[in-house]
Amino acid sequence: MRRILLAAAVACAPLTATANPSISAIIDDHILPRFEALASTSQALSKAAMQNCDPTSDDLRTAYGVAFDVWVSTSHLRLGPTEVDDRAFALAFWPDSRGATPRALATLISDEDPIGLDAAAYSEVSIAARGFYALEFLLYDETLMQPSEYHCALVQTVTTDIAATSSAIHDDWHSHKDVLLSPGPDATYRSEEEVLQEMLRALTAGLQFTQDSRLGRPLGTFDRPQPARAEARRSGRSAKHVTLSLMSLQDLASHLSVSDANLSDTLNRQFEDALGKLATLNDPVFAGVADPQSRLKIEVIGQSIGTIRTTVQTELGPTLGVAAGFNSLDGD
Amino acid sequence: MKRYLLTTAIAVGLATPALAVETTDVLDTYADIAAANYGDSLITAQRLQAAVNALVADPSAENLTAARAAWLAARVPYQQTEVFRFGNAIVDDWEGKVNAWPLDEGLIDYVDASYGGPSDENAFAALNVIANPTFTLSGQDIDATSITPALLEDTLQEADGVEANVATGYHAIEFLLWGQDLNGHGTGAGDRPWTDYAMGDECTNGNCDRRGEYLTAATDLLISDLEYMAGAWAIGGEARSELMSDADAGISAILTGMGSLSYGETAGERMRLGVMLNDPEEEHSCFADNTHNDHYYNGVGIQNVYLGEYIRVDGSLVTGPSLSDLMAETDAALDAEMQGKLGDAVMALGRIKIAAEAGFAYDQMLERGNVEGEALIMGGVNGLIDQTRFIERVIAALGVDGVGIEGSDSLDDPNAVFQ
Repeated sequence: MRRILLAAAVACAPLTATANPSISAIIDDHILPRFEALASTSQALSKAAMQNCDPTSDDLRTAYGVAFDVWVSTSHLRLGPTEVDDRAFALAFWPDSRGATPRALATLISDEDPIGLDAAAYSEVSIAARGFYALEFLLYDETLMQPSEYHCALVQTVTTDIAATSSAIHDDWHSHKDVLLSPGPDATYRSEEEVLQEMLRALTAGLQFTQDSRLGRPLGTFDRPQPARAEARRSGRSAKHVTLSLMSLQDLASHLSVSDANLSDTLNRQFEDALGKLATLNDPVFAGVADPQSRLKIEVIGQSIGTIRTTVQTELGPTLGVAAGFNSLDGD
Repeated sequence: MKRYLLTTAIAVGLATPALAVETTDVLDTYADIAAANYGDSLITAQRLQAAVNALVADPSAENLTAARAAWLAARVPYQQTEVFRFGNAIVDDWEGKVNAWPLDEGLIDYVDASYGGPSDENAFAALNVIANPTFTLSGQDIDATSITPALLEDTLQEADGVEANVATGYHAIEFLLWGQDLNGHGTGAGDRPWTDYAMGDECTNGNCDRRGEYLTAATDLLISDLEYMAGAWAIGGEARSELMSDADAGISAILTGMGSLSYGETAGERMRLGVMLNDPEEEHSCFADNTHNDHYYNGVGIQNVYLGEYIRVDGSLVTGPSLSDLMAETDAALDAEMQGKLGDAVMALGRIKIAAEAGFAYDQMLERGNVEGEALIMGGVNGLIDQTRFIERVIAALGVDGVGIEGSDSLDDPNAVFQ
């Protein structure tokens, strides 16, 4: 009897695999490689800072760019290990509408606060002075990149802190994987639908953040564009972040839409459309938001992302049988 | 035996329709609570207005204290209304006028030197309209010789497209009553002297007449804004009609408000970010040191709309068929869990309030390395996040999908982001 059941299960396996996105495939092919790369590139960044803390050092800036790229491709995966303590916020505090990052860094530097010399204690410091966005100010902001002995130590402390946070997230994912794979009545996730909802939430929130913050903040309003609010503009990374996040979200969307070839094609086409327009923009920091002609192009890219969001909401969600639920961007 | 069971089943079957909770009744209760809650906000704001008028007409330490007490009382009902945001477009379109935060208070009045001047983000962060009857704003000459509700609402609010230019609402009034809190992470709220409103030689920090004019105008505006919203929820009002026009969407609106206020707004933007930034400016009511109450009454408001119970400021109870009743009909166990989670969150937020009222100020809790403070605040954050997960389960169980979308303007209207 048991044997027959097993046989039946095996026979059914391919069927179920195509009927539903595979959580384990999403974990193994989408989530884990990203966090593994985040840990290793952050480690490399920290090593580069130890070897040369000069903010204009090519090696340091290159290592910074590589690790930051990986973070942007990972930043939509806000669940489990990233949400322990303040990890994700400590890697990436942005948008910073009140200028907390330059203020916090300027205070540390002018006080020569000893906590800036102590990587282990640095996790006590405001998230505004930690992570990739704070490091950008230390490496690229005219005022805050001024070299000094303290500045050098601070760069090393911030990069060591980034490496420690990234590796803690990566380590925890090994066990957190099982939480996603074993839903049950008394588990964190009560059903596979709840796990899928978590994945859909990551996709939805990632798209929302890229459209509303990465593009929406510099766009401001027609009468009052805000180019100074572009993400990571000091290092010229604003448009690159939109590209990287869209590519990563495209990968997640293709996993989630695996059971419906038409939907999968539609989503793929919509992502390619947005990415294609972005590739022809040739405006790395969205300086064009202030010019009516080029502003329109940036607005259209935002609308393309809006189209993807609509497809995800009205077609992908129902296909998966779940709603996107609430995310941390729901406030105002 | 079988026959007996069948009979029972039939009896139950017959009884059920009579007992069934009607969705429209649940929506009625929700709208009744909204009407009472905004009505109470108006009543307490009118008391604030009387106290403000007394302060401006007859400035004294006693009258300033009385106005502050009236402001604090007015916050009790208002913070409970925040659960009506995010799910009801009419509330979202209006809310920024009465409760916008955080604000660059230098727009309004004098500030300490440590505040700094205009910033990258806000060229008018230190405009000080009370000291400057005329100025230029985004290239336009502004005549502010007379400070009127219209000036605040039409010209100064979100001046230059910057959200931190908050000229109206509770927090602008709070700043005018308390002044900046210059105690950093220490205890104590803002300490504006009553003589900031004194006449003649007793006037401190200049322009006392204009300060009084600003305070009066901001309070008058708050009253008219609250009158509008209380009316919108009354029988025949537009908020109520909109809610009742589609029963499923109405239930969605209730749950969207509960989830968005719990997670993104209170747990995230207001509480978690503050503790991670270690910044006393991240307090929601940073001038009056009333932040513990802001969070607590947000939690109570969320519980109110689920249980269908609201205690009015006169002590009377507004109640009726509730979302909880509706949920219990579908899945009584999930309803019990939901109630438990809402209670846990209110308790966790209550602990912050207890500690704060006993002398452990919210800005002390935010200080770098303050382990007890962080644990208290994170207790509230975790309670709110935890209850959000259950709100999602209630949504799934009731089959009201599409929730969580109404709260986000950009999804309602893909072009909103470009406006």
